[in-house]
Amino acid sequence: MTHRVRAAAFVALLTLAAAGCAKSEDDKQAGAQDTAGQQQVAQTPAGNVPTCTIDKFGAHKFDLKSGVVGFSQSEKEANPFRIAETASIKSEAKKLGIANLKTTNGQSQFNKQISDVQQLIAQGAQALVIAPLNSDGWEPVLQQAAAKHIPIITVDRQINATACKDYVTFIGSDFYTQGKRAADQMIKALGGKGKVAILLGASGNNVTTDRTNGFKDELKQKAPGIQITFQQTGDFAREKGQQVTEQLIQSNPDVGGLYAENDEMALGAVTALKGAGKKAGQIKIVSVDGTRNAVSQIPGGWISAVIESNPRFGPLAFQTLTNFLNGEAIPQKVIISDREYDASNAKQSVSSAY
Amino acid sequence: MTTETAAVPASRFDRARLLAWLQDYGVYAAIAALILVNIAITPRFLTLENLRTQLVQVAPVVIVSFGMALVIGTEGVDLSVGSVMALTTALIPLYLGYGVVPAVVAGLLGGVAVGLVNGSLVAFVGVQPIVATLALFVGGRGIALVVAGGQLKDVHDQTLLDLGSSSLAGIPLPVVVAAVLTVVVMAVVRRTTFGRRLVAIGGNRTASELSGLPVRRVLLLVYVVSGLLAAVAGTLATARLQASDPSSLGLLMELSAITAVVVGGTPLNGGRVRVLGTVAGALLIQLVRATLIKHDLADSIAQMVQAVIILAAVYAARGAGRR
Repeated sequence: MTHRVRAAAFVALLTLAAAGCAKSEDDKQAGAQDTAGQQQVAQTPAGNVPTCTIDKFGAHKFDLKSGVVGFSQSEKEANPFRIAETASIKSEAKKLGIANLKTTNGQSQFNKQISDVQQLIAQGAQALVIAPLNSDGWEPVLQQAAAKHIPIITVDRQINATACKDYVTFIGSDFYTQGKRAADQMIKALGGKGKVAILLGASGNNVTTDRTNGFKDELKQKAPGIQITFQQTGDFAREKGQQVTEQLIQSNPDVGGLYAENDEMALGAVTALKGAGKKAGQIKIVSVDGTRNAVSQIPGGWISAVIESNPRFGPLAFQTLTNFLNGEAIPQKVIISDREYDASNAKQSVSSAY
Repeated sequence: MTTETAAVPASRFDRARLLAWLQDYGVYAAIAALILVNIAITPRFLTLENLRTQLVQVAPVVIVSFGMALVIGTEGVDLSVGSVMALTTALIPLYLGYGVVPAVVAGLLGGVAVGLVNGSLVAFVGVQPIVATLALFVGGRGIALVVAGGQLKDVHDQTLLDLGSSSLAGIPLPVVVAAVLTVVVMAVVRRTTFGRRLVAIGGNRTASELSGLPVRRVLLLVYVVSGLLAAVAGTLATARLQASDPSSLGLLMELSAITAVVVGGTPLNGGRVRVLGTVAGALLIQLVRATLIKHDLADSIAQMVQAVIILAAVYAARGAGRR
């Protein structure tokens, strides 16, 4: 028993020591600062999609500043996208003077996210902003919310349910279009011909599927001279991206382009290429995300282009919610316009990356 | 007729012998076969760069597997090795401001601390190894994420990066470290009292206790060594990735290490540690993965092949045990 106590105390001490006298290499970290960066801009003209009003949905009006708003994040804030997304929601709530914003994190476990949201409802949330981990499986939560007439806005991923009935609206990027735009950049970088490898995202994830299909469809249509000769999952992780790329450049030395479905894998690929003694631009890399780390590799030529997936949902989400509570008609789907970074603008706009 | 009746026991004996041979040397035969297949079907397989890539990628797995082999030799298991790597990678950038040496020492101390907790639970509290190390398998990565503030950090210190990318006489440094450790661990297992004691404890703990061996001290030390080796692997992996990524570094490493050890012929019920076999086990898995990736086959197939290899190894061990 004493040993167990001693052991626990030891670990606790170690943690404290680690936190207490740490002195890191540099303190500036991508994503941590400047979440205000570039705000999201809605792309879809409001007239083209069906709209939703508070009367049609059947919610109660309340004052956003004094009301309780819940935000449910899906994944650990371990990557720049999630860090920036949560920070953007929090800072916008602060800016608007929303005193009672409750945030939860599902830690990439769907069950946890469901019970998180149920907790938020139990704590009296009058409106919910949800970044869903999965598209399916939301029925129990939606029923509970409907019983209390709580408006729900989903961000970055959609829920498979009816807009303006089960939830109010969805705000997010079009992942398929991101894939198509990545293909356009790849076509430009390769001059329309050559062999391309794909570092896929995690399997069974609709972001992976959409970014892959968009890329392949666009190549098939616009550049039949480009062949996809290799595709392997890098699980959206830097280390896996590095290891797969190391194998790839030996087995497929004729590959001229590499499409990474997120920035982390692209950065892993850059490390692999540097390690193998390749020169910048020898293999053209195009990726999706728009993190500061990746965009800052563009001027040196290691990455050719980055398609943005803007995580700063705060302003647009709360603007939509405010309009909704004011009785205005809001679109049932808001697709945001993502930017792209390439050699022509990367230097100037790297500061707006996240 | 007489030959027929004699043939039955003889073939049974042969089968047991074959399985015993497979447990001991099957992994080398499998590697040889896989290399021959690759030479035949994989373009540019027989190049120096390819050899380097495979060895560099397998080095951290080999190092972690040594610790795992020692623990399994005592009839234990250490599930926390992947989390130790995460903890190490989280600690290093926190102390880089003081210089590379303090940072690496801090990272290694993290591994030692986890080993002390695991070892204390197993040796003194008497918790089953699988349960004792499960605690820090789950909790270790959590601590790592808290320590690191939960996010990936780039590492820029050139001395640290050199650990992952520089070479000694043309051999990448992580491979040199793994090779040196191979010799050291072999010497420890074969030539030191500690090595002989840990094998004795794994073979028969009660007998070891009755004959007066310091069982608890040896067990504690074995888990500390395992934690330390995992931390060494975590340091090298951090240097190679040029970043600290506690949320994904070392994920599933405990499974790779257990596979390498078992495929290498170390029995799960302890009493024996096969060091070179462990190296070969890790190499075999690396070669399987590389072969599939190079031929553009899905990662899920690699996992299935790995499962088949484990089953074959366990089957050989079980059959051989019946001798």
